[in-house]
Amino acid sequence: MTRPSPRALATAAGVLVVAAAWAWGAHALWSATELPSADLPQLDPHSYFSDHFLDRSATYERFLVILSLLGSAVVIAALAVYARNGHRLARESAAGRVGTGLLLAMLGFAIVWLTQVPFDLAALWWQRRYDVSHQGYVAHLLNSFLSLGSEFVFLCLGFAVMMGLAGTMRRWWWLVATPAFAALTLLFVFVSPYLIPDTSPLDNPWLVAEARKLERIEDAPEARLRVQDVHRFTDAPNAEATGLGPSRTVVLWDTLLRDDFSRKEVRMVVAHEIGHLAHDDPLKRVGWMALYLIPALGVLALLTRRRGGLARPEAVPLALLVLVVAQLLAAPLLNSAFRREEAAADWAALEATREPETDRSLMQQLAEKSLSDPDPPGWVQGMFGTHPSMMERIAISQAWEEGARVGR
Amino acid sequence: MNLILSDNLQRSRGTVFFRVIFALPFLIWLAVWAVAAFFVAFVTWIATLFEGRPPAPLHNFLARFVRFATHTYAYLNLAAEPLPAFDGKPGYPVDVAIEPPVVQNRWTVAFRLVLAIPALLLLGALFGSGVAGEGLWRGEQAGVAGLLGTAAMLAWFYALVRARIDRGLRDLIAYVLSYGAQAWGYLLLVTDEYPDSDPLTAIGPLPTRSDPIRMEVTDGTRRSRLTVFFRLALAFPHLVWLSLWGVLAFFAVIVNWFAVLFTGTSPQGLHRFLARFLRYSTHVFAFLYLVANPFPGFAGAAGSYPVELHVAEPGRQNRWTAFFRLVLAIPALLLAGAFSQALAVVAVLGWFAALFTAEMPLGLRNLGALALRYGAQAYGYVLLLTGAYPYSGPCHEVAPPPPAATATVTPVPPAVPAR
Repeated sequence: MTRPSPRALATAAGVLVVAAAWAWGAHALWSATELPSADLPQLDPHSYFSDHFLDRSATYERFLVILSLLGSAVVIAALAVYARNGHRLARESAAGRVGTGLLLAMLGFAIVWLTQVPFDLAALWWQRRYDVSHQGYVAHLLNSFLSLGSEFVFLCLGFAVMMGLAGTMRRWWWLVATPAFAALTLLFVFVSPYLIPDTSPLDNPWLVAEARKLERIEDAPEARLRVQDVHRFTDAPNAEATGLGPSRTVVLWDTLLRDDFSRKEVRMVVAHEIGHLAHDDPLKRVGWMALYLIPALGVLALLTRRRGGLARPEAVPLALLVLVVAQLLAAPLLNSAFRREEAAADWAALEATREPETDRSLMQQLAEKSLSDPDPPGWVQGMFGTHPSMMERIAISQAWEEGARVGR
Repeated sequence: MNLILSDNLQRSRGTVFFRVIFALPFLIWLAVWAVAAFFVAFVTWIATLFEGRPPAPLHNFLARFVRFATHTYAYLNLAAEPLPAFDGKPGYPVDVAIEPPVVQNRWTVAFRLVLAIPALLLLGALFGSGVAGEGLWRGEQAGVAGLLGTAAMLAWFYALVRARIDRGLRDLIAYVLSYGAQAWGYLLLVTDEYPDSDPLTAIGPLPTRSDPIRMEVTDGTRRSRLTVFFRLALAFPHLVWLSLWGVLAFFAVIVNWFAVLFTGTSPQGLHRFLARFLRYSTHVFAFLYLVANPFPGFAGAAGSYPVELHVAEPGRQNRWTAFFRLVLAIPALLLAGAFSQALAVVAVLGWFAALFTAEMPLGLRNLGALALRYGAQAYGYVLLLTGAYPYSGPCHEVAPPPPAATATVTPVPPAVPAR
């Protein structure tokens, strides 16, 4: 048996250090989100939703899940073919090493877009059939086509960083790329509130005053309050919290501010989003992104060595395949972290408003408006669920109420 | 159908000043003739569908109408000096040679109106309103006046001052008229040849020039369907990068302006930076508007792209023209605006053509290249890269001759070495 070389030992030690740092980071991030009540009561969905709704929402979501699975399979197949033959398209470039790589990356995404058109249209047809969306097919396709331009800008930025680093740092570029991408993501999270289209300041004085009150209760910094105009495309209600520092913003869809929801319910949504800001969830997402990137880019660097490394444009089609597969594999893990953050924000909203009844009625309304299955199969929730299911969210509300009754 | 150009560029200031008024009777007569031509064209259409060739009397009537329309527009837009005749007979300095009736494909005759749509769209971009400066007087964009109207308006001012018309403007107007004659001829069944938009073959012999900013196109007409379909999205990162670069170029050109004012020449470093910016923008727009096929690089490096912009080294510039550069550039920028409208139509038509045939029609490619070259020269003038005013007409461009040979002559070795 030969003794390992000092270089191999150093590499192994380095990998161990990185793995240990990764595990520590993951643990720190996971435990930074506290869930006061881990044991949720088992509830019967039929007690909260009609049989008709449960059937309808399950049928609606089942079709979309099947479409999504089929779509993912087609994406992987298309990218596998592209990984094999995509390098031939380099002849359409006069852009040098990095520029040609960017072209190949964009063309790979363009091909993926083309393969997804039938699935996209089928999903839209389904949503229109169930009255969840009323966007036209042509408008939908055109919007999707035109949005490719902005997606390509980010794609180019990402690949320019990777290929630039791979060209100068050879095998270890991915270790530098991870903090570089984390910094870029941080920058993007900071500016993203300013990039959301069709928004205007919230002009409801009562709700603004309530939001300021909730911020004080939840110990959250003051955030910008914006309304996004989406009713032309959908009836579904939604809201989000994004931004960092001075760009922290709560965005409410205008579909939420119609008469369908009571003032208390809207206030509950605002309390939930402020909960995210109070827990620094946008920043945590950057942390999760960095944790995802370390192994993903490491594997990417390893697998693209056969094509001369990511410094070579010929390796880009393979890199796209690796990144997409890595994203699909990581999705369940990341989703479980996101669900935890959502549950914590729900809890914070309950603590701030102390209105579990309103919370439950809000959850019922949200499920009915967006036709989401309140109690989806476990594997569907594990793969696709970025939020707890509606029944889990109602259970959180019940648990909070129970805790409040016994004085916790 | 060929345009025959025998104009000598000389203009009388008096007739130029009152050109629109003098042209009025011809325009009225043209309108009356157009009504008759409409009915005659309809009868010709039915006859050609049955016979396979237009009847000679009807063909001759329509050919005369096309010729008279060309004469009238040439007179109105200052491409020619003498008053045209009312009968559309040959012999005018801007004339159209039309062949006798020939057998035409019945299918293309049956669908002539539909087939003519792309040509008419391009004609719309080239002609605009067709009246010199009409759109501009209303304070609208140059595009409303079209290439013809904008060029004619500029020619009007030029001719009033110089008593002659600028060769570039005259050739540009003649090119548009040539395309118009072909499009009308095709629509009215005078010919079954599809209008050719190539400015390099439209008006006969072209001048050979070596401007300080010149463009060299070495790209073929093959196009990749995939990159054509996604062309706009693929160009988007370049457009973002170009706009970021443009911010720096804006400040660089201000510094360059002061430098030229004080020293009379552009500093080498600034000149190189701005030339690179202009070259890069030419690469990007050549790609975006389908004038070229390959994806360009992000650095605007010389010799990296098959639509290459050559910018001469900095030379001495007149300080007065440098001081008033923005004002002096207004006519060029107006024309560049009209060119860009034509370029957009070229891109849309070329997009469909390249998607179906994987080829960019040569005529559209060359018209696009002309528009790009003029834009590059106009913006190069604004950026103070050169003091030479942009040349608006189609031309052949060659590299400037090398500096004069030195006294020493290198002996040429014999082809076969001596034994």
